[in-house]
Amino acid sequence: MSEQTVKTIQSTYVPTDADFRLKDNAGEITIDTNFAAQSFWKDVTIRFFRKTSALVGLLLIIIITVLAIAGPGMNEYTYSGQELSQKNFAPRVPGLEKLGIFDGVERMTTSSGTKEFDKYTENNLTDVYYWFGSDNFGRDIWTRTWEGARVSLIIAVAAALIDMIIGMSYGLISGYFGGRTDMIMQRILEIANGIPRLVIVTLLLLVLKPGMLTIIFALMLTEWVGMSRIARAEMLKLKEQEFVLASRTLGAGHFFIIFKQILPNIIGPIITQVMFSIPTAIFTEAFLSFVGLGIPVPQCSLGSLISEGFNSFTTHPFQIIPPVIVMALLMLSFNLVADGLREALDPKMKEM
Amino acid sequence: MKKYTLKRVLTFIFTLLAILLILFILMQLMPGSPFNDEKLNDDMRAALYAKYGLDKPIIIQFFHYVKNMLQGDFGVSYKISKNTPISQLIQTRLPISIGIGGMAVALGAIVGLLLGLLAALKHNTIWDTLATIISVIGVSVPSYVFALALSYNFGFKLQWFPMLFSQKDVMGSSVLPSISLSMFTMASIARFTRSEMLEVLGSDYMLLAESKGLSGSALIFRHALRNALIPIVTVLAPLIVDLMTGSLVVEKIFAIPGVGSLLVNAIQSNDYNVVISLSFIYSAMYIAIMLVVDLLYGVIDPRIRLAKKGD
Amino acid sequence: MNKLKSAVVMTMAAASVLGASAMASDLNVMVETPVESLDPQIATDGTSFEVIADYTDGLMQMDADGKAVEALAESYDLSDDGTVYTFHIREDANWSNGEPVTAADFVFAWQRAVDPNVASEYSYMMSDIGQIKNAAEIIAGDMDKSELGVTAVDDKTLKVELNVPVSYFTSLMYFPTFYPVNEAFFNECGDTFATSPDTILSNGAFVMDDYEPAATAFHLTKNADYYNADSISLEGINYQVIQDSQTALMSYQTGALDMTIVNGEQVDQVEDDPEFSSQGAGYLWYVSPNISAVEELQNLNIRMALTMAIDREAITNDVLKDGSIPTYTAVPMQFAAGPDGSDFSEDQEMFSDVCATDPEKAADFWAKGLEELGTDSIELDMIVDADDAPQKVATVLKEQWETTLPGLIVNLVVEPKKQRVEDMQDGNFEVALTRWGPDYADPMTYLGMWVTDNSNNYGLWSNADYDAMIDECTTGDLCTDAEGRWAKMYEAEKIVMDDAVIFPLYTAANAQMISSNVTGLEQHPVALNRVYKNVVKED
Repeated sequence: MSEQTVKTIQSTYVPTDADFRLKDNAGEITIDTNFAAQSFWKDVTIRFFRKTSALVGLLLIIIITVLAIAGPGMNEYTYSGQELSQKNFAPRVPGLEKLGIFDGVERMTTSSGTKEFDKYTENNLTDVYYWFGSDNFGRDIWTRTWEGARVSLIIAVAAALIDMIIGMSYGLISGYFGGRTDMIMQRILEIANGIPRLVIVTLLLLVLKPGMLTIIFALMLTEWVGMSRIARAEMLKLKEQEFVLASRTLGAGHFFIIFKQILPNIIGPIITQVMFSIPTAIFTEAFLSFVGLGIPVPQCSLGSLISEGFNSFTTHPFQIIPPVIVMALLMLSFNLVADGLREALDPKMKEM
Repeated sequence: MKKYTLKRVLTFIFTLLAILLILFILMQLMPGSPFNDEKLNDDMRAALYAKYGLDKPIIIQFFHYVKNMLQGDFGVSYKISKNTPISQLIQTRLPISIGIGGMAVALGAIVGLLLGLLAALKHNTIWDTLATIISVIGVSVPSYVFALALSYNFGFKLQWFPMLFSQKDVMGSSVLPSISLSMFTMASIARFTRSEMLEVLGSDYMLLAESKGLSGSALIFRHALRNALIPIVTVLAPLIVDLMTGSLVVEKIFAIPGVGSLLVNAIQSNDYNVVISLSFIYSAMYIAIMLVVDLLYGVIDPRIRLAKKGD
Repeated sequence: MNKLKSAVVMTMAAASVLGASAMASDLNVMVETPVESLDPQIATDGTSFEVIADYTDGLMQMDADGKAVEALAESYDLSDDGTVYTFHIREDANWSNGEPVTAADFVFAWQRAVDPNVASEYSYMMSDIGQIKNAAEIIAGDMDKSELGVTAVDDKTLKVELNVPVSYFTSLMYFPTFYPVNEAFFNECGDTFATSPDTILSNGAFVMDDYEPAATAFHLTKNADYYNADSISLEGINYQVIQDSQTALMSYQTGALDMTIVNGEQVDQVEDDPEFSSQGAGYLWYVSPNISAVEELQNLNIRMALTMAIDREAITNDVLKDGSIPTYTAVPMQFAAGPDGSDFSEDQEMFSDVCATDPEKAADFWAKGLEELGTDSIELDMIVDADDAPQKVATVLKEQWETTLPGLIVNLVVEPKKQRVEDMQDGNFEVALTRWGPDYADPMTYLGMWVTDNSNNYGLWSNADYDAMIDECTTGDLCTDAEGRWAKMYEAEKIVMDDAVIFPLYTAANAQMISSNVTGLEQHPVALNRVYKNVVKED
């Protein structure tokens, strides 16, 4: 209230400061949000668990995670222990071998016809079992697959979460403020993204010591852009909507609007993007393995295992199958969970 | 709108210059040099540095390079194809990469859009699950495994398509590479189309449009799809650049003379001019496409255009 | 749907027609890497050398056994003191534009090779190795290139002056750095020299008719004007660059290639095939300890333990599988033949007391070494190229060392090759897995490396006796005494082995498939890997 206004009504009544009191409505606002949030998340949980496919996905993720933790310890082999006399053994599992599958017999197409042989009996190693077979150093593929799954999961989840935080904030802020801020932020993004990823990553891996943290850092540096672009696009869609205007009229701060008002509305696409970031992270790591810049040997990740198995694709195809299947299952389950979450999170889709 | 476009084009040029400078600095940071072969001694290396002007301060090299570039001279290769002008090196390779990448983008986008639409319209049915599974396979198998599987089955076993790229049969020998490259695009587009369509279909204005008596294709294409397109275009744009600038792995498997493998080889052998030129082309394409996308937003979504006028 | 089907059918038909139309008597060859340069004085890599030699002849060429025999030179004379060569060039040797090949073409090319403005990476072939008069001074910029000790006496006579007698000088003449270049043609092409069929001049068995820089496919056709054209049976050579070994093998199996290199993993598929063979590549792979910088590695017992703990047979037979040969000498096998024609490193037992596979002895040395150092564990970083084979070998080495030598931890540091080389040059390494390819067919290409202050002596090992012996063999009295020189080189090698300066691993080889209807292919570990002049391909 300006002094001018005060003066014009002076003649009739002189109000004192005591006449005005800030209405303490903070409680109401928070109560409103809190109330919505509580029932909202309960609602989400109920809706999520009602969806079978999402549950299947969640279950798969849990199983793979458990195996990634416990799998390498389930037999006597270690992920780096070599036994060169037992290399390229086909998968053999006790019990199943009697059914004619996983019996250690390998069929190989050679230029002089298809050969079938059982390296276990040839070498008199009938009490040896490689559940997923052994690789070209005689290392157990079962152990390595789960060891690799563990490394890949850590890399991917860490990278995806960091991406989400950085990229989302960047995109939301850029989109919300628009104008010059957006212009500058988008140019910075273009410069960061305009330089081919491989140049940045190669450089980074050469400057820092190769290893898991460096790879996470490299992925983080290059992958946040996609997330920020989604967040910005969503922001552009939403920021002119009535509820934002209403919120602004009520005096809400910029960051309150961005993170408390708009963010919950776009959590669906964001989560979908995170679920995409995870395979992208695993893939980028696999690509780095392919050009020889991945996780250092003899450590392994799903990507480096696929890249190793790739060299034996036409010779010993069983070596590439376990990591590919684990990777595909991981992708599938992340996608199913993402779907479930997205639909559970979006109240508009309740009826569908 | 005109003023806005002009402003964007001007910043486009400045952004490119900034990228070029950063690339120059990055090249200096790269360990090794194009000439640290085991067989060379220090004197010979110094002679080579002097020959190519690499002994001068970085900033002088930069201005020299920009000056030459404005005259269309991108320098020569130091290692991959010694003393060959970069423009000659790229001239034949870029069109091949763009061709195969373009085919892959078109294929991926069309199939992806159809799959996504199908999944969204037949939400929670067997079709939805099927479309999901197909698109998940696309993102779960690395393209090199997929490419080799295609090559093995359709090139080697069935011999339907050639396994190696050939200038004499560009169409035929591009089929398998394009399919293997398109998988990731297809999957991404399918997932996003589905997700966006579901959101749009659940919105109030769709209910309104429906209650107005609109039905079938008009409802889906004029109202729903148009609104779902913004994020889809945003996802598609960088994918286009990635694909057009070539893919190392697919190029390697099908022996394609594209720019992807050129860039990787150049990075590994510190062939500065090749890395800088290719990165620069990549950046220019990328930023140009992002520019087009930004301008397209206005066309697709009138609300964004209004917002910009207000600024 | 029908449209799509017919499109597929049409493409298939087109593909099969094209497949059939490939010329039957063209040889289809796979190479792993593209050509880096077709300028003979600039090229340094194997593929480029092979292709340049397809269409260019030097003064000498390699025969099937790798010995130097006359090519463009009809004959040559050697002065009594062994320092002046006079080559007489064939009268019927012509360039493909009709100009005769003259002595001036050689003078021009050789001057280019030492010209500091050209900065040829192989200029040391002229100076350090070829010992051509004034070459070193010109390269250093102290003399004009016209002072080079090579002169055109007349159109067809070339005189070469050397600083000292060089026993293997004629065998350098088949090395592409020494190939002629026509000056007029070169000036006409300017910067575009050797980048397209129009800017490539041939004087050899084939002519380039389809090529562009860094191409993945290119083609040469028979040169009808070649002086020896009657003996060339192939109509042409079709090169295909394939980087993926599985694609290469599949292409070979469909008949699109007549020869291909096979990767270790695919050997399992083809090892029983009569078309499968393995060809020595001359490279010695070895482990280089940084003796000067790492305290633990200065201990001879530790070095002995490390070299004795390596099971080289396991590496070549179980991991590489490409025919590489376990090597226990500092000079690899099958590339340098002595005065009596036998391989310098034929006897692999020669140093078996200091280099063999003996885990027990290794453990003894190890225990002794640790005691002397007063420690019970050692941690070493080994730098390794980020390529497939080196990583595999390193993985096995790590395992072998750690299981045989208690208390040893080896960390593998995988880096791109450029980085690994730079680290070695800077002395910034503890142990490195590295390799060396021979530049010429003489053991000195290896033994010369361990001389004090040699730029490739990365471990900075130094031994005065050794330096003296090498000096004697390169520039001293033994230059003209082939047998004495040979014996001295064994003595020098023994010093290197006794001191475990390097841990030799294996002599590399390429596993390959060559179609049974192709005969007469000549393969060499040095200079020109494959020569196609005598190849016959039956239909």
